[in-house]
Amino acid sequence: MNSRYLFGEAWAIAKSGPRHTAIAVALIALAFYVPGLFALLSRNLGRLAGSAREPAAAILTLDASADAHSVADRVAQDPRVAKVTIVGSAAALERFRRAYPDLGSAIADLGEAPFPPTIEVSLKPSAPSRAAREIAVAARSWPGVDSAESEEEFAKKFRDGVRLLRGAGLFLGGLLTVAAILSVSSAVRLALDLHRDEIAIMRRMGATETAIRAPFWLHAFFEGLAGGAVALALLYATYRGAAYLLSRDPHPVLSLFWVGFLDLPTALALPAVGAVAGFLGSLLSLSKSARA
Amino acid sequence: MTPEEQTAGGAPMIQLFRVCKDFGPFRHALWEVSFTVERGEFVFLTGPSGAGKSTLLKLLFREELPTSGQIVVNGRNIGVLPDGQVPYFRRTLGVVFQDFKLIGRKTIYENLAFVQSVLGLSRAEQKRRAYQALKRVGLHHRMNSLPSELSGGEQQRTAIALAIVNEPVLLLADEPTGNLDPVLSEEIMKLFSEINIRGTTVFVATHDVDLIRRMGHRVVTLEKGKLRERDMVRETLAQEAPFLPG
Repeated sequence: MNSRYLFGEAWAIAKSGPRHTAIAVALIALAFYVPGLFALLSRNLGRLAGSAREPAAAILTLDASADAHSVADRVAQDPRVAKVTIVGSAAALERFRRAYPDLGSAIADLGEAPFPPTIEVSLKPSAPSRAAREIAVAARSWPGVDSAESEEEFAKKFRDGVRLLRGAGLFLGGLLTVAAILSVSSAVRLALDLHRDEIAIMRRMGATETAIRAPFWLHAFFEGLAGGAVALALLYATYRGAAYLLSRDPHPVLSLFWVGFLDLPTALALPAVGAVAGFLGSLLSLSKSARA
Repeated sequence: MTPEEQTAGGAPMIQLFRVCKDFGPFRHALWEVSFTVERGEFVFLTGPSGAGKSTLLKLLFREELPTSGQIVVNGRNIGVLPDGQVPYFRRTLGVVFQDFKLIGRKTIYENLAFVQSVLGLSRAEQKRRAYQALKRVGLHHRMNSLPSELSGGEQQRTAIALAIVNEPVLLLADEPTGNLDPVLSEEIMKLFSEINIRGTTVFVATHDVDLIRRMGHRVVTLEKGKLRERDMVRETLAQEAPFLPG
């Protein structure tokens, strides 16, 4: 068995049933596009959640002229408070740049600091759940405090939401990968049927089972690879399309988080998992049908 | 390796020892069949439809396994041949069936080259062997034709070229002239004779008695799965055999 035979036959298999090959590739693409979309959403949302990895229980937004240290000292006197962090305008901008590199440069062009100074308040573990709200309400009346909000509950809900999204993506991804494997399997079974005579000739001439099956394995591998690549291309088109629409018509929330495509390992995983799914589909099919 | 080199051994090409083949408890396709075919022989296997000719050829080709008895082909006990060795065993054989199969989308040359590429032969070797095989069956001038462009006789000759392209030591044919008229049938048989003259053992199953008579080769006859009485006398010496490894 040589590579010319292997690749030539794999290509011949693809050409012999172009409609079925196209359908299989489309099904695989769909199977990987949906979980890919979940991955894209959860990645962007996850950055928001990630920036609140150690969430502050309450955030006090200060006036530009306020004495941050005196406000911080006052908050720290509360026995329920564990830690108080002053986040100046520059530090807030730096945080934003790290989280959103695409938007950070645009904000840097502004003449004034876009983020006001804030004080992040963390509570002791023994503090009751109402403590954050009580501290925020009390702080609103202090001089130099522009606004005060308790954040813990929202941050928790947000992180749970992202986790749920990831879980749903993984579940759907698993389900659709199984569907992709089955669709490749049936496409290979059809190809086997179309090449029945060739297989019979090969067996009579003394071809080994590996030599007979290898082109089908290769064909399914590339089918899966192509499906994964198409899914990746569709995802990128979706991302760019949405980014374009949001730049034309900005949305207060969506514009903030829709800033990054999948990271390279996740993006490359789509065609790679597609190829593996294709290969598994062919194994499944060939183990059932090759001797028929 | 040429057929002459491959047939250097002195043992018979085919030995059957009390071979039985059952398909289910009540259907005996072959019953206690024993005979020998020497190297370089041309032997016809005949008998009415349902006598077991095709089953016997399938056993020789290791497409089926005997229910009992031993089959030795080219010195190998194929009943105990491991599955993984079967393709390598088959490479020493050529087979022509009535329902000759050719790949419709490939030219005659590509059909022959394809089966060799599966076996891993170089392109130069594929070309040499394909041309020689097509020349031997008189189709070298049509090597770029598709099977659909050939007549029935030409297609059968291509199937024979396919069978001999690997220079087999034994050529098995199952009703190779079944779909052909008498003139073409004789032409095909002459081709088999030429192949036989070059050293390949030829074993042809056919129910065409006239053709067998005209060719004048040795005949083994099956009737209802058993060797006919007259042939059994000739094959008496082949009744007992030691166990041979695969």
